[in-house]
Amino acid sequence: MTTVVDSKAVTAPAVAAFGVSKRFPGVIANDDVHFDVRVGEVHALLGENGAGKTTLSNILTGLYRPDSGHLELSGRRVSFESPRDAIDAGIGMVHQHFRLIPTFTVAENIALGAARDGERVLLNMASVESRIVELGEQFELSVDPRARIWQLSVGEQQRVEILKVLYRDARILIMDEPTAVLTPLEADALSQTLTSLTRQGRSVIFISHKLGEVISIADRITVLRQGRSIETIDAVGATRESLAAVMVGREVERVQRRGVGALPGAPIVLSVNDLGAEGDRGLPALRSVSIDVRGGEIVAVAGVAGNGQRELVEVLAGLRPRTSGRIEVDGETMDRADARHPIRMGVAYVPQDRLGTGLAPDLSIAENLVLKRYRRPPVARPPFLRSSVIDAEAASLMEQFDVRAPSSQTPTRRLSGGNVQKVLLAREMSGRPKVLVVSTPTQGLDIGAVATVHQLLLDAAAEGVGVLLVSEDLDEVLALADRVVVMYEGSVTGIVDAADATVASIGVLMGGGTAEDVA
Amino acid sequence: MSVNSNLFVIIFASAIFYGTPLVFAAVGELLAERSGVINLGVEGMMLLGAVSAAMVAANLDGPAAVVLPIALLAAMVAAGLGAAIHAFLVITLRVNQIISGLALTIFGGAAGLSSYLANVWGLGKQPAMNQFGRMDLFGLKKFPVLGPILFDQTLLTYLSWVLVVLVMVYLFRTRMGLHLRSVGESPQTADSVGISVTRYRYGHVIAGGMLAGVAGACFSLTIVPTWANGLTSGEGWIALALVIFGFWRPDLTLVGAYLFGALSSLSFTLQARGIDVPTALLDALPYVATIVVLVIVSNSRISKRLGSPAALGRPYEREER
Amino acid sequence: MSLASRVGLRLEPRVDNPRWMNWAVPVCSFIAALLVGSIVLLITSQNPISVYQRILERGFLDTGSLSGTFISATPLLFTGLCAAVAFKVGFFNIGGEGQFYVGAIFASGIALSLGADAQSWIAVGAMVLAGTVGGALWAFIPGILRAYFRTNEIITSLMLNYVAGIGATYLIFESDSFWRELGGTGAVFPKGKIIPLSAQWPSFDLGNLVVPFGLLLGAVVAIWLHVLQRRTRFGYEMRVVGGAPSTARYAGMRPARVIVAVAMLSGGLAGLGGAADVGNFRHVLDPKGLQQSGFGYAGIVVAALARLNPIAVVFVAIILGGITNAGYALQGPDFPAGLVGTLEGLILFCTLGGEVLVRYRIVNTRRQAVAS
Repeated sequence: MTTVVDSKAVTAPAVAAFGVSKRFPGVIANDDVHFDVRVGEVHALLGENGAGKTTLSNILTGLYRPDSGHLELSGRRVSFESPRDAIDAGIGMVHQHFRLIPTFTVAENIALGAARDGERVLLNMASVESRIVELGEQFELSVDPRARIWQLSVGEQQRVEILKVLYRDARILIMDEPTAVLTPLEADALSQTLTSLTRQGRSVIFISHKLGEVISIADRITVLRQGRSIETIDAVGATRESLAAVMVGREVERVQRRGVGALPGAPIVLSVNDLGAEGDRGLPALRSVSIDVRGGEIVAVAGVAGNGQRELVEVLAGLRPRTSGRIEVDGETMDRADARHPIRMGVAYVPQDRLGTGLAPDLSIAENLVLKRYRRPPVARPPFLRSSVIDAEAASLMEQFDVRAPSSQTPTRRLSGGNVQKVLLAREMSGRPKVLVVSTPTQGLDIGAVATVHQLLLDAAAEGVGVLLVSEDLDEVLALADRVVVMYEGSVTGIVDAADATVASIGVLMGGGTAEDVA
Repeated sequence: MSVNSNLFVIIFASAIFYGTPLVFAAVGELLAERSGVINLGVEGMMLLGAVSAAMVAANLDGPAAVVLPIALLAAMVAAGLGAAIHAFLVITLRVNQIISGLALTIFGGAAGLSSYLANVWGLGKQPAMNQFGRMDLFGLKKFPVLGPILFDQTLLTYLSWVLVVLVMVYLFRTRMGLHLRSVGESPQTADSVGISVTRYRYGHVIAGGMLAGVAGACFSLTIVPTWANGLTSGEGWIALALVIFGFWRPDLTLVGAYLFGALSSLSFTLQARGIDVPTALLDALPYVATIVVLVIVSNSRISKRLGSPAALGRPYEREER
Repeated sequence: MSLASRVGLRLEPRVDNPRWMNWAVPVCSFIAALLVGSIVLLITSQNPISVYQRILERGFLDTGSLSGTFISATPLLFTGLCAAVAFKVGFFNIGGEGQFYVGAIFASGIALSLGADAQSWIAVGAMVLAGTVGGALWAFIPGILRAYFRTNEIITSLMLNYVAGIGATYLIFESDSFWRELGGTGAVFPKGKIIPLSAQWPSFDLGNLVVPFGLLLGAVVAIWLHVLQRRTRFGYEMRVVGGAPSTARYAGMRPARVIVAVAMLSGGLAGLGGAADVGNFRHVLDPKGLQQSGFGYAGIVVAALARLNPIAVVFVAIILGGITNAGYALQGPDFPAGLVGTLEGLILFCTLGGEVLVRYRIVNTRRQAVAS
């Protein structure tokens, strides 16, 4: 199907990609991708991490130029030299990680880079503000144009992002994983916004890897796998199972462990009581949090990012002082906010920011593997370090955890995401911990690595370690956890047995509901 | 004795006189830093500007009204070229900004190109023929107290006031100013809305360098009209501190510049009055005060809100893949 | 659109680092710097070939020149180590200059107070210690301000250079201090007291080549630093703190303490350089001479060219020492002052630019797009 002639432009798709390919050194990110988005349609691009969704959206927004193939807008062939061209052509991107400047006001963020008539040199914030209010009414997206971004909730910030592209008269909105940061309730609101947009003739490209929401939100779904567009499917009539099979290319097997649980009578290895702590801005981020973890148990902390999970794990790792409460590890009280203390007490911690906090990227794998044991024998013979011991340990840990790298001397920054995570887990488990705290351990990993990491966490639990798993991915939480602790605005809104939990029931708690609401 | 020869009036007047180069240099650095680029080459660029201005003033015959603008222009071109080297290294080649800036100061500095050129051009034998003299603005020089402080300065001082106002308007009232701030805060965001991070950074680093050149010319054309190697005596570094002191705002930076202008002039103002204070103590005062002020500012509560541009010092690369 | 993107140049991180590039790139950068330098020389109507030839002759080619080069290289070696060790952990100490002065003040002070009767090895040892302590204390100030008061060390350490310079000037020119020679011509022209012969550092003759004790000491210190960085617990902490501060905290290290310790180590090295300068060469506290030499600033060039590697600092110091020495020897109408600094700056620029080739591949995106 080729739409070339202008007279057909009315019925031509809003956007169409013809055989788009993009290579990077060693990787083919997009390989002969075809799809078309109709006017007024929500069109989902569905795929696993690494399937090429991000590269494709970067091509659509003019950040990259395709190596071959081309794009058509309303039947007209286009070639973007820069993001500017894409914006001028009416394509707007709502990024997953918001492109907003926290210290600027809403209006300043929206006016940024957009040249509207009559305001060439000097800024006319009043006219920007009134236009924002106007758009807000038109699309039911209300937000105070004078508020500064850092004062807004995540949901409001997303509205600003959407207003930003509407302000530029975008006809086609690309949304990259827009629900990842939202509570289920906010996600519902977003879905209404999308309806309002499409009703007014805008088209939406909805990028996601979540099967359920794709089916409920999109009109049609194009599935990407390993950089190729596999199939375009009508959302009506599609099922999770059928989509998953297309997306992964085989029947999906997920690691499952429900209701295995701690051995009866297993000791409580981590006991958190009435914990309070402040966030980076000095506001309370944890309010009276209490959690127990038994040896051999996986307890998941679920919640939308930014509801105190980060502060919780940082307090447990001794990286953030607490304002109230008690922490006991295997019966011993943790008394100081000092990272050495939890390490000595047997708290292992795999942080969310693997390369920035968990590892020293320029140091070798071998050196990173002793990061928490370098101070004492056998690794150290003060004041020296024993490189023979370090190398020998590296060799055995790399084999045990199947770390794939040219050698133990390779800097960790050169490793793939999955291998980075394996190095981290290898190091943390090599300290023979009692408690393993892991924060979003599979974010950004490909599907094979996800399975490996899940297996390693199950192995840890099987060895009797109490695992506290912080994750935003409810599928992961439900697959691995014995119990689920749900956090909202720094408080625990509920603790449920995984066996009784559903996405819906946890979703209510994530939005601040209580156990009664669930029932 | 008239009120206009009161010690404090004289100290205020010389604070502005000696603070003027700091205003130019600090506002220039502020522009570069607002775009996210630190340029530690201020001292070197000032000296390059100073030597070029001195060369023109020494060798060009003609009325001051012709020679001085050309001298100023030469200073801006020379220092701007120095800034362009830094810009190319840190923006295009993504070299560490700290080291590249230091390299620029060493290259242009007291033991580098500025003194080499001064030697080659045979400067330093006599004072520049053309200098920026004091100008009685609006004939208000005799006005009590404010007269000598505000209206008996050189043209460069008056220009510096215009500059501060213009840069204030530019930063906070214009579209380009908004774009500039966004480039310094979040180049990813700026890029995503079609603002050229590279162009803004090049433009403002070079503009900042040109202003450092004017600062240098302030020295060689008014303050130290007879060339001496390293005549800026480290004021380029104080300008860097002033940017922090002024929370990256031109108005506050101007206040800081005059504060340090007062301190650096104190030594000979007091001596001229026959007040006996150890010179070493007075000479060290601006440097010690810079440290003290920097410590206070870095630890104040406001600095959390009005901190440095978030992307300061970081090269921008589009996320690869 | 920027020039680079219009031409279609793009930098791509290298996955592999061929070993030959580690030496080939610096050598090419050096040659490029000489080429750019010759443009500067031509513009200012100098003959580049003869300038370079004379630098080569007077800096390196005979034992007499080489002995002079060693003298110039000694202070650069210490200030180069000072910058290298600090920059490596992200502590941008540009106060090597001031720390060098303070080291010289302390070392000359102790030498003068021990007097002529002290045994030579005690006097020399005391100077080494005093210089190190002096430099370390001076660097302690920016160190503690950075680590515990979040104050930019670049500016504080630099301001302290001026304060130290003013302090040294005060001791000799503006006061009747212990360091000042008040008798003889000193009553008319202010100058410092000469340190006793017993406190003057030895030099070793190898044929016609004279190797100062300070240079050997510096080389030993460089090796010691290399071992410290590569093989010890403290070195490990330095590398983690330098590359990944939040990882250091996560691992239970104390980055603030490491920073202060490195600041003092760095300052101590510069101070030791000041002691060597007094002990081996000047034999007197000479504020004017110290400030004219600018060893501290040149040390930053040395460290950057050596890519912060202590062993490489030794060799770079000797090369730059040679250029500096030739600069002294040749200074005059056809070899103006400032030429050495200009060449150093150019070498540094070219090396910094050249290093990009080690880290990145330059890809012509335009051609790539057309080809496929």
